[in-house]
Amino acid sequence: MEHKHSQPYAITVQDLVRRGKDQIPEELLSSEHLIYNSPAALAFNSPGAQGFGVKRAGLSIPGSIMLLIGPGCCGRNTTILGEQGGYQDRFYFYILDETDIVTGRHLQKIPQAVAEIVESRREKPSVVMLCMTCVDALLGTDMERVSRKAASVCGVPVVPCYMYALTREGRKPPMVDVRRALCSLLEKQPRHRRTVNLLGFFSPLQEDCELYPILRQMGLVRIQELSRCRNFDEYLAMSQANFNLILHPESWLAAQDMEKRLGIPSITLTRLYQVSQIHRQYMALSRALGSPIDDEPWLEQACQAVDTIRTRFSGVTVAIGGMQNGNAYEMALALTRYGFIVREIYASLSPDDFVYLRHLAQWSPDTEVYSNLSPTMLYYEEASHPVDLTIGKDAAWYHGTVAHVNWDDDIQPFGYAGVLSLLRRIGSALEERGHSTR
Amino acid sequence: MKGLWKYISPFAPDQSGAAAVLYGLGGIVVICDAGGCAGNICGFDEPRWFSGRKSAVFSAGLRDMDAILGRDDLLVRKVCAAAETVGAAFVALVGTPVPAVIGTDFKALCRMISRKLNVPALSVPTTGIGYYDAGMKAAYEALLPALTQEESAVEQGRAGVLGAVPLELADPDEQQVIAEMLQREGWKDVTFFDCLEDYEQAGRNERNFVVSPAALKGAHYLYERFGTPYEIRYLGRPLPEDVRNAVKGQRVLVIHQQIAADAIAEEVLRAGASFVQTAGWFLADPSCIRPGHIRLKEEDDWCQLADNDAFDVILGDIYFKRALPHFTGLYIDMPHFAVSGRY
Repeated sequence: MEHKHSQPYAITVQDLVRRGKDQIPEELLSSEHLIYNSPAALAFNSPGAQGFGVKRAGLSIPGSIMLLIGPGCCGRNTTILGEQGGYQDRFYFYILDETDIVTGRHLQKIPQAVAEIVESRREKPSVVMLCMTCVDALLGTDMERVSRKAASVCGVPVVPCYMYALTREGRKPPMVDVRRALCSLLEKQPRHRRTVNLLGFFSPLQEDCELYPILRQMGLVRIQELSRCRNFDEYLAMSQANFNLILHPESWLAAQDMEKRLGIPSITLTRLYQVSQIHRQYMALSRALGSPIDDEPWLEQACQAVDTIRTRFSGVTVAIGGMQNGNAYEMALALTRYGFIVREIYASLSPDDFVYLRHLAQWSPDTEVYSNLSPTMLYYEEASHPVDLTIGKDAAWYHGTVAHVNWDDDIQPFGYAGVLSLLRRIGSALEERGHSTR
Repeated sequence: MKGLWKYISPFAPDQSGAAAVLYGLGGIVVICDAGGCAGNICGFDEPRWFSGRKSAVFSAGLRDMDAILGRDDLLVRKVCAAAETVGAAFVALVGTPVPAVIGTDFKALCRMISRKLNVPALSVPTTGIGYYDAGMKAAYEALLPALTQEESAVEQGRAGVLGAVPLELADPDEQQVIAEMLQREGWKDVTFFDCLEDYEQAGRNERNFVVSPAALKGAHYLYERFGTPYEIRYLGRPLPEDVRNAVKGQRVLVIHQQIAADAIAEEVLRAGASFVQTAGWFLADPSCIRPGHIRLKEEDDWCQLADNDAFDVILGDIYFKRALPHFTGLYIDMPHFAVSGRY
């Protein structure tokens, strides 16, 4: 392979802000170039293999199973999920052949397949998810109708979910729609004034997250998360919530659907790593709900942790990736404010990120932004971009020899507790690598 | 039920087989998909991807409007832009279900690309429906005529091995094992068709060895073009002693790709098995098929064949065992990467 321009494409935060959100360079827009599948970016192109993709997310309802309908290639990486994730007996495949695709005969057979699966199980599943792929997207299959037919045949709820990578940059990308699908079985019930749902993640918030006691301060006695539902009845009880807290932006469609069908309104909270902004967000929540919030003890603890990390590691150079539990740009801004020097960011960029970039341009104008997906990343060489620490699995791939914080656990960091955990992990990673503390 | 697989996850698809043959040859490989197929290839079916040896394998990143409007010009523009960064000896387009459904004209795309870039552009029109071996076969068929150079003098002691891609190998070091085995037999130079030069200089091979049925047609092409004789031969490690002991006097079922299954069956018979049956889902070329070989199509076929007491010992990838709750005999794991994605 001959190298022509053997430099990965990068642009400084300062230059990005100068260009503005309407003129993001083509090199940072995945729709404008071929997509490089570097090991760093695999979670983007194969979310089923790492983290929560549609397949794993679609099995979030307790007791559910999934029938994946598509050519064999679409189910290939499910082997990993079955092996490592404990999903082995929850996946089934209806493998399409050419005749199915040409004649659509599989649509007639799916109800029978679902019935055969349900019958073969010792315990009836709570719900059967039908996972569809690009083929049925292109064929324009009405899978809602097929699901209704299947449900009537097997006597178990059947819900379609859509693994349409083709619509990734559309209005309802797969990970947005799967969250809606997961809430679609909820039916209208009397709402409980002191019950709230936390929407957004497929695994719970960290146990020590202050959001739980803060919500209890406000009189909310039942705090529900899909991932903490132990059985189908607990899942169904989510429709009793007084309101939803949206913790991940990809939950907007689910929240909208719940508002429309069940009359449950929602409030959005953003995952942040800037302590001052977390405080402001809680105060805004307090105003929105008309109930006081005292976050002082957690705020103080977080501020102390920031002071300590600043004293110990100020000046440490960092590279931040997009494959981690946070917004790379917001995290870069937070860490810069805490005394770190953020040299590089590898992440997708959307116009919404300019909220953080504008501030980052003042604090750290020379921070460079790369796209993991750009073909030019073939030529990224660690030696030319030295840093002390990486955050995110993708960043770790580029810098094999430095301190790493992968920060991609299933358990979700949030709020002050998230900041404390992150700073603790950063401290440990740097200490392990022998970075001197002051 | 036809089409329904309750125990076994899908095998490596044709596009993974094609990408495995194309890997590391110095071309730009474009998986014409929306992203997931390329992700599966690189993240699951191509262990070399994590080895640090970089290869220009890209996803076309097709979106719904590309499929609806057939924006071939956009894809050509993206390929040309990538070629400005990556100097490539050729461009290869690999098909997936999306182009298969919308009927992409790969030949036209290749013409457009090669005209603009002045390098050969070839396509492997895989569909995501076939198995890896069909993709390998199609890739050899596309690559050999496009990359092999005109006749050159045969070099005594130079051997080529076709089909030895990770999907077909039992462990990551097996290529080295094959090379050493052939060198012990007197072959001085062993090539694996895993770099551009091996294709360009294919006419210099004194003999080709075929370790996968997927490579048979490719070997035959080289025979017709250069007169290079080829030998179908399993070059994996021999069965361990404990396995040879375990099959003595037993009824044995071997499940693998045809060439491996045949060789293992012969070895099992030599070890004293009373009866050996081979079976498999993959390509079974008439030139290497074992009499009585059972061609499986569905998962149900496998259950009917082996989920009973008809055999005392089964040799195959352990993933197949999931579908055999009633099999009470001895199951001996013989990893097949294309099945379970592991060595």
